[in-house]
Amino acid sequence: MSDSNSTSPTPLIDSGHQKSRILTILKKEFREIFRDRRTVMSVVISPLIITPALFALMGTLISGQTEKIKSKTYSVGIVRSEEAPQLYKAVQAIPNFKFTTIEENKAENWVKDRRGQAVIILPAQADSALVHSSVPIQILQDPGKEESLAASSRLSQAFTLIGQQYVKQRLISSGLPGDYATPFHITEKQISESGGAGTFILSMMLPYILVVSAFSGAIYAAFDQVAGEKERGTLETLLVSPASRSDIVIGKFLAVVGVCLLSSILSITGLIFSFTSKAKSFAWLSQGGLHLSSAAIGVTLLVMIPLAVLFAGLLLAVSTFARNQKEAQTYLAPLFIFVLMPAMASMFIGTDVGKSIALVPVLNASIIIKQALSGSYDPGFISIAFAASAVYAGIALFIATRLFHKESVLIKA
Amino acid sequence: MIEAIQLSKIFKDKKRGEVRAADGVSLSCQPGEIFGLLGPNGAGKTTTLRMLATILEPTSGSATIAGFDVRTQGQQVRQNIGYLSGSTALYERLTAREMVTYFGELYGLESSQIKSRIEEVFTELDMHEFADRRCDKLSTGQKQRVSIARTILHRPAVLFFDEPTNGLDVVTARTIIRFIRRCRNEGRTVVFSTHIMSEVELLCDRIAVIYNGKVAATGTLEELRAQTGKQVFEQVFLKLIGEEDEE
Repeated sequence: MSDSNSTSPTPLIDSGHQKSRILTILKKEFREIFRDRRTVMSVVISPLIITPALFALMGTLISGQTEKIKSKTYSVGIVRSEEAPQLYKAVQAIPNFKFTTIEENKAENWVKDRRGQAVIILPAQADSALVHSSVPIQILQDPGKEESLAASSRLSQAFTLIGQQYVKQRLISSGLPGDYATPFHITEKQISESGGAGTFILSMMLPYILVVSAFSGAIYAAFDQVAGEKERGTLETLLVSPASRSDIVIGKFLAVVGVCLLSSILSITGLIFSFTSKAKSFAWLSQGGLHLSSAAIGVTLLVMIPLAVLFAGLLLAVSTFARNQKEAQTYLAPLFIFVLMPAMASMFIGTDVGKSIALVPVLNASIIIKQALSGSYDPGFISIAFAASAVYAGIALFIATRLFHKESVLIKA
Repeated sequence: MIEAIQLSKIFKDKKRGEVRAADGVSLSCQPGEIFGLLGPNGAGKTTTLRMLATILEPTSGSATIAGFDVRTQGQQVRQNIGYLSGSTALYERLTAREMVTYFGELYGLESSQIKSRIEEVFTELDMHEFADRRCDKLSTGQKQRVSIARTILHRPAVLFFDEPTNGLDVVTARTIIRFIRRCRNEGRTVVFSTHIMSEVELLCDRIAVIYNGKVAATGTLEELRAQTGKQVFEQVFLKLIGEEDEE
């Protein structure tokens, strides 16, 4: 210090043993983030409570609807049943249907007046015609009524089965084996290692949900940290402290990365809970079995790291560029498209894709998560995707840091 | 303690082109002195203070604070200053204690130092009652005291006050005025910017009148009165900026 005046008070000088300023900023940002109800709602409450609750609600509705459909007894009119006692006997054996013989001229009104859900119109002398030939069977339905459509569909399926019995009888009476007209007997066996139907549903949904939750969970935190500080006038106070701009931007950036990762981890936790819960409401998610290896979870978490870094960089760059939080919100729409489009695309793209897909940000991570869940790892794809994601994340962080050093962006004139 | 030589700051504005917010500002300020920057809104006071506090980089010119160059030794400069502006705010989701501790840590103070300084400063400013209350629950006066505590926690040798009484009621403004006076009495170097004449008359030992980014005149109150031949300070000011009252 070159100042010669000795009368001025001595400031408390940096002890040199202080905590890293980046760590100080990170700690403070986390403290603030988790006192912000909006962030707590989107990062903690939503994935841990709201998502499982929605799955449970959907499960309850689906199982309720399935039970209702299963136990529902349809009332169906049948025309000319007395002319085909043999066929009528087979029809009466269809479960959950109650048949009433009616006149043909009353058939349409039977459905219109809601006396029954459908009407079967048999041809004249159907039994004798069925010995050697096909007979036309008409099912009257009301396409505007869901129950009528359901009854009609089940009747069609039932008639197909009854038809197969007729074919069998005809073959036997002709001296041929009953399965003469059935050259293939197909059986399907599900192997647990590749996951069951539950794993398939999870692999479809998880990449999308994870990407969206990581991104949306960090929005409030990122926008609050720079645009919010500019708006409230606290950023100037921070800039005049001994923390360098790099310290500030890195501290804030790490906080946003942390929120992204936490949001992802809690989303995975909420989903795994939903998919593995033995509760009846969640049964629909794991129908057909669910197999989640620790390697799959590990890869999923690992792939979220460069993605979180990319999102944090992008969001922080927008937050730094915007004059206030409201302006930052207006830049969200194109950003959401950038994130949501590839995440949604991953739902329709299989796991067996070309290496060039590994270069597409967000989509590459989504495909890796899908691959991990289906138990098929492609080290080449993973390596390229990690390298590409790291480069994109680096670019995003570089832009955010550059903006943070730009006076015209940071300081209100 | 503060030496500024020909400090200039040019902003590029899409509509107005180049804007010279500060144009060759030179000033010197010593310990135990309150140096006033007086000028209307948009005169360049805030820009000058921001350059001295290293928030903005000067386009040209130089300045040293406590012997440190504002261009090349930004961190050392910031270590030695306290900055309080009328527009700065607090972290609303932190308590008063957390807020001040945060800045103590940023200034590199040890935990024990921070604790003892908080005890001292909170007692001095009568803040214990609301020390653990969140800043968004504090009254304007209490918030201002938290800002003061944040500004002086590290015992800075140089203090900048940028229109600190802006929007404050008379009682809270008086607290700030008393605090600034005490800083001078403790031997600190104080730069105080305002557009309120009465505050200048009340506080400042020397004054620089700033207008259109330039220093129109520098001196003590008496020197400026003598220079203009006016007694009422408002008239002194108007004459110095070339807007002399015709009455």
